[in-house]
Amino acid sequence: MAVPISQMFTVASYVLKQKIKGRKRYPLVLMLEPLFRCNLACAGCGKIQYPAHILKTDLTPEQCFAAVEECGTPMVSIPGGEPLLHPQMPEIVAGLVARKKYVYMCTNALLLKEKLHLFTPSKYLSFSVHVDGQKEHHDFSVCREGGHDQAMEGVREAVKRGFRVTTNTTLFDGADPNSVRAHFDELMAAGVESMMVSPGYTYDKAPDQNHFLGKAKSRRLFRAILSNRKKNWQFNTHPLFAEFLMGKRNFECTPWGMPTYNIFGWQKPCYLLQDGYADTFQELMEATEWANYGAKSGNPRCANCMVHSGHEASAVDYGFGSLKGFIDTAKAFLSGSYQDAGAQKILNEWQPEHRGQLVQIAAPAAQQTELVSGD
Amino acid sequence: MSTLQQESAKIEQLKHQSFDELEHVAGRERENLEGWIPELATADEVREALEKAFDYRGDVTVTLKDGTVVEGYVFDRRSGTSLTDSFIRILPSKGDRGKVNVAYGDIAALAFTGRDTAAGKTFEAWVKKYWEKKAAGEKNIGIEAEKLD
Repeated sequence: MAVPISQMFTVASYVLKQKIKGRKRYPLVLMLEPLFRCNLACAGCGKIQYPAHILKTDLTPEQCFAAVEECGTPMVSIPGGEPLLHPQMPEIVAGLVARKKYVYMCTNALLLKEKLHLFTPSKYLSFSVHVDGQKEHHDFSVCREGGHDQAMEGVREAVKRGFRVTTNTTLFDGADPNSVRAHFDELMAAGVESMMVSPGYTYDKAPDQNHFLGKAKSRRLFRAILSNRKKNWQFNTHPLFAEFLMGKRNFECTPWGMPTYNIFGWQKPCYLLQDGYADTFQELMEATEWANYGAKSGNPRCANCMVHSGHEASAVDYGFGSLKGFIDTAKAFLSGSYQDAGAQKILNEWQPEHRGQLVQIAAPAAQQTELVSGD
Repeated sequence: MSTLQQESAKIEQLKHQSFDELEHVAGRERENLEGWIPELATADEVREALEKAFDYRGDVTVTLKDGTVVEGYVFDRRSGTSLTDSFIRILPSKGDRGKVNVAYGDIAALAFTGRDTAAGKTFEAWVKKYWEKKAAGEKNIGIEAEKLD
């Protein structure tokens, strides 16, 4: 089972309650960013580029709890920055667990092993470790050699100590589906509970602007990765969201589905797009011009977005919104393996774009020759 | 958010292709705004400059018409019908650090005084540095997060 039954029940009850109340717009997961500071400097990240005085600012535990109460979601994801750099993170997590919120604490895991003793295993707490692929893919992605080994060491230690551990993999242009599938094997062998995978979004704020997947390539890539699944792979994404990534169905964006709160306030409109801030959750919901966002709106900033924060909530809402949605969801949960000969062909014929160390961008010509000859 | 001018590559791409057919997505055009002191002669210039200040990943210095100087990070802007009911919101870099609202109409001067914290940190830059360090015999190569003073 990808998530505990108690968590599935809590989320299902919450969504049904929203439906019964007739709420058209309701949040599903709070993305709580208590800090922007990080111990990595990934080129594809659009979250950490701020002046020092901003990076040194933390949300207090009380601010975090107030945001959680205001928003009311059953699940809280804590991205950042790197949450383990927040001096009061154990207190924040303990406070959320005490409130019976299902917490996904996102981490690059560089500090996980040394900080684990500050946390207590609980069904409400999962460490969501960011691992962007096999060793060289991950090291390239986080701009640090050895980052993958450190992250996996943290994963293994957390699993050993009885914590729930999930992973989050973001794919950029140059991703190799065969390598991603091998990466899934490695993660499951390490004992993770479940995995999430999502395409990188064209972050306006990211230092790098040239390695984002378009929708056509994303769909082909995810079809190759997620079809013909191995039985032991467990995912913690909604199965219909996975079908959306594979190009089997379309969902419009639900930008309010996973609202973000950080030191500036409630981010308009979503976790990825930064179009200003509201001071309260109510203001976010009422003052944001939602029609201006999502692919259907024609907003070029939303044109290629397929990420979970906007679309997984759509999948969940669809699943609870009609009998057909419920049946589709049940079928997806039960059928699961997505046998697809065409996808296998894509996988077999996929040419990795680059070879050698730091696989996604070619080495200088002379060194590349040496690497190829050594293959 | 970025301005329409900065979004031009993506808009141009979408004129010729449906977003469902895109293999790769054009990134935005990054402007070098560090050190820029915009003219604020017209309402349009004020709005354009403050939109860029909102987009900028460094501190700016705002001088008000009453001589007050506010230095900090512009994290929000709220555009109204006139310059008097349009505001930028700043987290000052010094002082009590509470959020400060400044009406567009009260601004006498604007300068992009802080360093652009996103500039020059591309994958290409990382790979170039990687190969340089590799050639020099270094191991465990990485881009370090910046020191925070």
